[in-house]
Amino acid sequence: MHGIAYDAIHDEFTVPQQFGQAILTYRGNANGEEPPIRVIQGVHSQLDAPEHLDVDPVHNEIFVPTRDGHILVFPRDGKGDVAPIRVLGGPNTMITGDAPLAVDPVNNLLVVGGTAGRGQTRLLIFNRTDSGDTKPKAAIGGPNSHLYSFGGPFAVYPQKGEILVSVRGPGPFAELASEEAFVGVWRITDNGDVPPRWVIGGPHGILRMPRGIALDVKHRNMLVSDKRLNAVLTFHFPEMF
Amino acid sequence: MRHRAFSVGLPAALCMVAWLAMTGDTRPSGPLVSYDPLDEECTAPEPNPAPAALSLNAGALPLRTMLMQARIAEAQTPIQANDASRRKPERMIRDPYAAYSAVAVDPGHDEVVMTDENLFNIWVYDRSFGRAPSDRPELRRLIGGLNTKIEFQCGLYIDPANGDIYAVNNDTIDTLVIFSRGTSGDSKPDRELHTPHGTFGIAVDEEKQEMFLTVQHNNAIVVFPKSAKGAEAPIRVVQGDDTGLADPHGMALDTKRGLLWVTNHGSVHSVRQNPNRRRGGSPGFPLDRDDAVPGSGKMLPPSITVYAKDVRGNARPLRSIQGPHTRLNWPTGISIDEDRNEIFVANDGGNSVLVFDGNASGDAAPLRVIEGPRSLVKNPTGIFFDKKNHELWVTNFGNHTAGVYNPDASGDAAPLRVIRSAAPDQPVPGLGNPHPIAYDTRREQVLVPN
Repeated sequence: MHGIAYDAIHDEFTVPQQFGQAILTYRGNANGEEPPIRVIQGVHSQLDAPEHLDVDPVHNEIFVPTRDGHILVFPRDGKGDVAPIRVLGGPNTMITGDAPLAVDPVNNLLVVGGTAGRGQTRLLIFNRTDSGDTKPKAAIGGPNSHLYSFGGPFAVYPQKGEILVSVRGPGPFAELASEEAFVGVWRITDNGDVPPRWVIGGPHGILRMPRGIALDVKHRNMLVSDKRLNAVLTFHFPEMF
Repeated sequence: MRHRAFSVGLPAALCMVAWLAMTGDTRPSGPLVSYDPLDEECTAPEPNPAPAALSLNAGALPLRTMLMQARIAEAQTPIQANDASRRKPERMIRDPYAAYSAVAVDPGHDEVVMTDENLFNIWVYDRSFGRAPSDRPELRRLIGGLNTKIEFQCGLYIDPANGDIYAVNNDTIDTLVIFSRGTSGDSKPDRELHTPHGTFGIAVDEEKQEMFLTVQHNNAIVVFPKSAKGAEAPIRVVQGDDTGLADPHGMALDTKRGLLWVTNHGSVHSVRQNPNRRRGGSPGFPLDRDDAVPGSGKMLPPSITVYAKDVRGNARPLRSIQGPHTRLNWPTGISIDEDRNEIFVANDGGNSVLVFDGNASGDAAPLRVIEGPRSLVKNPTGIFFDKKNHELWVTNFGNHTAGVYNPDASGDAAPLRVIRSAAPDQPVPGLGNPHPIAYDTRREQVLVPN
């Protein structure tokens, strides 16, 4: 499971279920063996091996990437064998496969992870409502971006127009851990081979294999999961907010 | 036999060893599981070697790593950014103690071996501790560190002939690692085998020298020569809609009856050869996520499926155990008493050990259930029936323990002996490969799928 989204407006959270090809939504305070309140699953859903997702609680949509490089958009309150209400994908999109994504409902943007030959990693920025084979409005990546490889799901902070990305590092043990790993912050207005505005927790910091990122805006904190540390770390990061 | 000094990757583990050695069951004064900053010694991350240039490692590194190295070399300048790289976290949720997952006994050397999915170690203890109240478990060897490629290890097999340790990594590194008996510290495996993504259980047919692995992600079983290494392909694959494999986990072989037993959590989808897959498949390997049939997913009740040990292809199971009377709930580890024809199941979600008749089928109730507070059974993931000593070992991911039981135990039976990595009242964060996280602003809680 590589995605989870908490929807504060409707007080529920949503996760992908890869093996059963489903999207599951639970009550916000679900506990124990509680069944989901909604399940999207079935032939019309086109779900293949959903790992990532994000929820736009403002416009009531769920975004799910597929293995073959499409983004499926479902109604948030969809239930059962529902078809996506729109699909983004095709060669012009540069979306190459299941990758992290994040939706910015304030600035109406969709940020998708992409690769382009030789494993080059890029952040692709689309309009939130883009569909079909649409070119991204911006692509961040290149040697100076230091976007080596995505560690996990992104976070966005719409109020400041920021994109937070966990970046895996290289090294002889790159599959397991790297001292070069970090969390980087880019802006939604960035384009091209742009370095991050901020680096947190590395390179050569505490992070070894950063994965997910979440924001606690009230306390001005950034939370990061790290696979190698098998831990969740809370960084106080007031400069970002 | 090798004995190598610990060099990296073990600071937290050594903290625990020191505590065990010094205090036994006495509650330690320092924090065991902390939600606050931990002391430097117990939280220091493993030091990694400095990244080497691509040219130095060409041929020795995975492709993705080499590409990343090349991109770094292309970068003209160091990262020009506002630098919070050395910022320390204000808090960290991390369990500094072992969370035992898989277990196996080496009867020839009277040792018990356990994997640890929290600190990423293999722990080897004296099996027969506890003959006197003061007889503490003796840690004989500890294998861990980046060179070992040990991470989220969920399957374990000990070669009865020589004590070699076969340890299965789950979905973070597609490598089966094999260590010779006596290995300790941050040692490279004696042998490695590239596996499909998401292997879990392991069983070996010593007579035929075949090694079986379950593959969660592909709903498959792969069979390799026991001596396989490197990128060797499986000699046969069990996969398909008729197999009944559904998120398969544990596996056990009944050599007496020629049967292969598999526990299944229940989620499944169909796969078909996809001519348009974006990545090339590996010949001889099972179809994978790129071959998933969209919309074919199902979430079925958990089950145990039984096959002839020479099973291959899209074969139906000989029989299945499934239904509400079975009490199966995330059945994970499985082991067999061939003489009594009884099947032991670590029932993770049910906080219980289920014992089935070896002839059970359908919605069969277990013969016995071990569960309850005295039993210490809490999120059990590993189980091993020790035929020689007539003991049942159970590892509990949910409470830092491994317990030894009389195989006839039932109900809320206390274990005969316990190895524990933390004091009984310590919290268990339960983190296991945390990936995405979310913040619940209403309750000010962190949501962490594992």
